[in-house]
Amino acid sequence: MNELPRPVPFTDDPDTGGFWSAAERGELAVLSCTSCAAVIHLPRPMCACGSAELDWRPTAGSGRVFSYTVVRHKMNRAFEVPYTVVLVQLEEYPDVRLTGYLPGEVAIEIDQPMLVVFESYGGKVVPNWIPQAVAPAAAPTTRQGAA
Amino acid sequence: MITEGCAIPGIGATRFSSSSGRTALALAAEAAQAALADAGLAAAEIDGIVRCTDDVVLHNDLIETLGLPNVRFWAHGGLGGTAPSAMIGYAANAIRAGRASTVLAYRSLNGRSGRRMGSGYGCADPLSAGGEINGRFDEYFIPYGLTTPGQMYALIARRHMHEFGTTREQLGEIALACRRRANTNSAAQMCERTMTMADYLGARQISSPLGLFDYCLESDGACAVIVTSTERARDLPHPPAVVAAVEQGGAAGVQAGRTLSALMRKEPLTFPSAVVADNLYRRAGLGPSDVDVAQFYDCFTITVLIQLEDYGFCKKGEGGPFAASGVLETTLPINTAGGHLSEAYIHGMNHIVEGVRQIRGTSTGQVDNAEVCLVTSGAPPATSALILTGDR
Repeated sequence: MNELPRPVPFTDDPDTGGFWSAAERGELAVLSCTSCAAVIHLPRPMCACGSAELDWRPTAGSGRVFSYTVVRHKMNRAFEVPYTVVLVQLEEYPDVRLTGYLPGEVAIEIDQPMLVVFESYGGKVVPNWIPQAVAPAAAPTTRQGAA
Repeated sequence: MITEGCAIPGIGATRFSSSSGRTALALAAEAAQAALADAGLAAAEIDGIVRCTDDVVLHNDLIETLGLPNVRFWAHGGLGGTAPSAMIGYAANAIRAGRASTVLAYRSLNGRSGRRMGSGYGCADPLSAGGEINGRFDEYFIPYGLTTPGQMYALIARRHMHEFGTTREQLGEIALACRRRANTNSAAQMCERTMTMADYLGARQISSPLGLFDYCLESDGACAVIVTSTERARDLPHPPAVVAAVEQGGAAGVQAGRTLSALMRKEPLTFPSAVVADNLYRRAGLGPSDVDVAQFYDCFTITVLIQLEDYGFCKKGEGGPFAASGVLETTLPINTAGGHLSEAYIHGMNHIVEGVRQIRGTSTGQVDNAEVCLVTSGAPPATSALILTGDR
């Protein structure tokens, strides 16, 4: 039993907030530059090309496991161990990686296909990743009250 | 050849423990007094102070506590473990520029009994994962249970294993090399505890693939060093440990943020250490083959393994076989006081203290004829390193 509820993300940061408002619409979005088309991840207030004209571009919400760890030593009272953290690279933008949380020890392999799901808890919508093999047919999906 | 024109004539340290029962200020003052005594200098001769940005002890605190009457320069030297080498660089810059003549640099922390760096972020109040949002991108990590540097390094280690075939045993060689050094250093927290490969492999997993002995210690303690011109250092009791070169380095792609964001780099298996290494060797007029002994920042075993690659001792991806080849006992002795893994975790400052001992010839893990010592500071953020030499 977790001693504390799962942390919710801070969603109103001017630079990263668009990621979370896209999630509320059921989209996994990446920040991109309207001038040079570069994808900017982690999000920053301007592109390295000098432009500050940026927008959030929806993605297909699929990816592959870049790395993973099974956490066995409890470090945070909101996360009962064991649990599995995945680092997923997006299929369309391999240089963009995002984090996923899977309760328990989950058998994961690097390069394994993953699908985004949108989990609602604590009043927020949080993108998360699950193995494609176990994903429901119509992804992306929404899971309620996960974790 | 460019040189920093400075040397380290004085080093000091407190006892390393898991519960000092004292304030960080008391520890810092003790280490500073020890460094002054070691250098044969009086408090009045300190006219500059460099502090780690993360230190709870401010320059004002030491000015008052040590009764320093002549401080006219201070600087705050960077994030946590990335700071110590850069701090020596700021001291050298101030001395060369005439802003100070003798500078105290220190790191003091109750890293076990007080704030435990390894406990990570978003722990005290998980609902405010974004509470310290500016530049740290906690919202991309904390809600997913990725909350500590150890978990981040576990992801890096797993990927290194996947790409290059690196093994647990190879990481274990780094832990064992540090432990054997600690076993001869009476000041090391792990002095009395020997370790075998079976111990290493059998230790409980913390965050796979990393186990207990891939993690550094958590320590209460302080280290201090005195920096002055090489010319002046020659008149002081110890042979000068010359600061041959200092470099700081970051480059686009380093990622904004502090620690966890390093996972989002295009090349997360290469640290800014690689940028530092090229410039450091050039500035010193030396190369990896000239290094007699190295003190690698070792918050985790994998941190050392990647630096073996980044600092040019082997090619990218070959850090594992290199570490297991026996060189850490022969041609490239590392962390000769035990490092963070087995001496104490003083956020990289104990590595500089040990580097000076090697140049003086007074280490408990003394390397014969050690004339060139590489000292690296922490990764993965933009980092720093230095090279110490004898007075040549």
